[in-house]
Amino acid sequence: MTTRTALLATAALAAGSPATAQEDWVISAKTIYTAAGDPIEGGAITVSGGKITALRGGRGTKLEVTAVTPGFVDLSAGVDTGSSSVEQTTETSVTFSVAETIDFFSHRWGRELASGVTTVLAAPLDENVLGGLCVVVKTGGEPTLEARLLRKDVALRASIGTQPSSGNSTPNAFRENTIYVRRPTTRMGVEWVFRKAYYDALNAQRFRFEVDADQAAQNALLLRTIEGDLPVFVKTPATQDVRTAIHLKREFGIRNMILDHAAEAWKELALVQESGVGVVLPPFPADGRLRDPYANDSYFLALDAAAKLHELGVPIALSGDGARTPEDRIARQAGYAMRGGLSFEAALAAVTIAPARMMGVDDRVGSIEVGKDADLVLWNGKPFEATSGIVGVFLDGKLVLDARASTAEAGQ
Amino acid sequence: MTILHTTRLLDMKTNVFRSLSFLVVLASSAAALQDKLVVEAGRIVTLAGDDIENGVIVIENGRIKAVGKAGEVQKPWDATVIGGSELVAFPGFVEAHTSNGMDRANENLDVAPFLDIRDSIDPVAFYFEDCLRYGVTTVNVQHGPNCVVGGQGMIVRPTGMTVEEMVVRPRYGTKISVSPKQGKSRATQMQQLRETLDGLRVYLEELIEAERDKRGYAEREALAQGRELTSEEKKGRSMEGKAWKVDGLELIPRGAIDEKQAPLLEMVEGRRMVFLNCEEAMDVEHAIEFARTNGFLEKSVLVLDVRCWRAADAIAEAGLPVVLEGGLLEMRRNPRTGEEEETFVPAILADKGIRFALSSEASGQRSLWYQAALSIGEGLDRSIALASVTTTAAEILGLEKEVGSLEVGKMGNVVLFSGDPLSITSWVERVVIEGREVYDRRKDVRNKHLLEGTQPRGTAAVAEAPVQEDDHAEEEGEEAKEEEAKDDESEDGE
Repeated sequence: MTTRTALLATAALAAGSPATAQEDWVISAKTIYTAAGDPIEGGAITVSGGKITALRGGRGTKLEVTAVTPGFVDLSAGVDTGSSSVEQTTETSVTFSVAETIDFFSHRWGRELASGVTTVLAAPLDENVLGGLCVVVKTGGEPTLEARLLRKDVALRASIGTQPSSGNSTPNAFRENTIYVRRPTTRMGVEWVFRKAYYDALNAQRFRFEVDADQAAQNALLLRTIEGDLPVFVKTPATQDVRTAIHLKREFGIRNMILDHAAEAWKELALVQESGVGVVLPPFPADGRLRDPYANDSYFLALDAAAKLHELGVPIALSGDGARTPEDRIARQAGYAMRGGLSFEAALAAVTIAPARMMGVDDRVGSIEVGKDADLVLWNGKPFEATSGIVGVFLDGKLVLDARASTAEAGQ
Repeated sequence: MTILHTTRLLDMKTNVFRSLSFLVVLASSAAALQDKLVVEAGRIVTLAGDDIENGVIVIENGRIKAVGKAGEVQKPWDATVIGGSELVAFPGFVEAHTSNGMDRANENLDVAPFLDIRDSIDPVAFYFEDCLRYGVTTVNVQHGPNCVVGGQGMIVRPTGMTVEEMVVRPRYGTKISVSPKQGKSRATQMQQLRETLDGLRVYLEELIEAERDKRGYAEREALAQGRELTSEEKKGRSMEGKAWKVDGLELIPRGAIDEKQAPLLEMVEGRRMVFLNCEEAMDVEHAIEFARTNGFLEKSVLVLDVRCWRAADAIAEAGLPVVLEGGLLEMRRNPRTGEEEETFVPAILADKGIRFALSSEASGQRSLWYQAALSIGEGLDRSIALASVTTTAAEILGLEKEVGSLEVGKMGNVVLFSGDPLSITSWVERVVIEGREVYDRRKDVRNKHLLEGTQPRGTAAVAEAPVQEDDHAEEEGEEAKEEEAKDDESEDGE
């Protein structure tokens, strides 16, 4: 059993080591949960060249497990961009991209792999009102952006509520004391900054204002969230934040908005449903109360939140929020969502294909289909059950977490 | 003015008394009704032999009278019957050690063996409520870990409005922390532990010497302290300590031993359970050594944080049982490589043949059922995982003949689950403690809040325009109707 320690270390090593010759695999399972149609009983997945090449067996190293699901996609994994990478020069760092700052050597990638997460959205920190552009990356493989990147500039990070203003104070001697230059210190200020950025962009377009190149680039991106396909990925933990974000969406006609960390979205079901936003839920806390040390506040995440939203057709995704504790891992959130009444199929989708669709990477990841990336999670029992564990993880066709010693069916 | 006031007060008092006596009558009649209880279930997981399909449990006067297949077991005609074929019966879970359920679990005094946590237990603590919600029916409550020598613990049933109603074993066990109390170094902590038992020895020797000099000294001393000794307390007895003894204890009336020293003497004599708190692996060896040199090794239980697994060999060699706290996985950064390593601790303990119980941690949803379930997912043998929250936990507490499994003669503690007891989608529907139904999920408002939240005023419920177009929503109809329907359903189920 102590092997587990070594195995994880191996996983982390594999994730950081240079590419070796690709091994072909045939993974047979009692049940394959594809997240694309019905589960396949007694199937075998053939993996070659990092891709799923067949679902009917083939040639390669054989592996037998109880169940397989696609690798998980976590949109709110809080992947490391360094502990203090908040841009302080401006609250609207719209044109900045997180791509340049991702730390591919952080130990936290190992945590994601151990949780079965193979794809994450890397987003700028949530402390600027309009924080910048997000990218979708793999959690393992060679530690370079080129090797791990799935899609660039997939969404614009925004944050509403108390978080962006927390820690801000009145300016020092070197900054002029007017709201046009200083950072917001209240919710009102945060909303004002958000609104001003959009207002400026729309006005510049309408009246053909002369603006400098930076401003023009910012405006172009903001207009893309209105006229084009760039989603706004906005952090809204409290009911109040959910309302504000949706009002802003309506005010400026933002086409695609995803509420991140939206613990209390279930309190505004009608509003959320009607507005057409997607929702990413944070990990379910043991007693329902989710503490927020930044905002000195707490939010209530009811167990049936995911079920309620799903029933109304709201696209939902679950998240492990960085998997800081084993309890936060994304697979356990799927279990909790089922405890709250979500069906197994919907829970599976909420950690795989649904988030992949939200970020437009469902052509590559999120389900087990021929031609897709070979990102797989191997289980020793029915996925998401409390009595089931993850015994292996494939990323791009490589076995990055290997617990073959204990692949026997759980219990008994 | 004053008179008026008093009269009113008197009135109020009588009213209070009236309603109180009414309550008492209600309670006792309920008790009388539930003297005989029959629990029916589609499956009974006895944890003593095979599961029973379509089973019946008969409980009389708080004890299990019969367990078996429906039709093979005689049901008393006058028994209350609960349960249903859709439910799964399981023994109540046993919490082998916790410091929850108290109003302030830690004491400022370093050495406080004379304290009794009876005075700190809060019967309406949310923790006890959660115990029922997740099927925990026996709880060993001990002094908090921030101590040198803590007060005397208690085994309770998590139901009742007074500690008297809750108590299963009073004055049970003493907490000793080998890890330093806040503000102390490890050296000071150990020094103070040794000093405490040295103090006991010196106290006993001096008392015996004084008694030898002057007959009746100890009794007069007790009297001076306000303790008049009854006939039994006047008798002396010899010391039974295994590791060390003082001669002449038989000269001292047993009631004359100072209250502060009496629990320590019980400990040294191996007549009191000791819960040794260790946070780091390095503490384990000190704990074992301290227990051995003072003769209570056989009465010791190690209360360990996950980091202590590194001392597994020493634990196995000493043969001590363990209560594992602080989770199941140890997550640790490798000091050399910086990589995060995880170790699943219960498997290591099982591997070394160490008897262990799991703990409900912060209670709530992650209670004992969940800890056992997760352990199975991590590869622990199913029977060991189940035992760690039932039978082994009971054994550690010396309650192996009382609780932990559904067998004739044991306490009638039964949990009815809505499905497989360890499934993520199962809920505890009913809980029976010693033949009395103490929990019914349909009446559990707080569980409803956890599951469904509470819709705050001013936020829109779903019932508005866009939803009604949806076929599915129409089926469900109005909220009130839906509620009714639900209730009906569950009534039918029984």
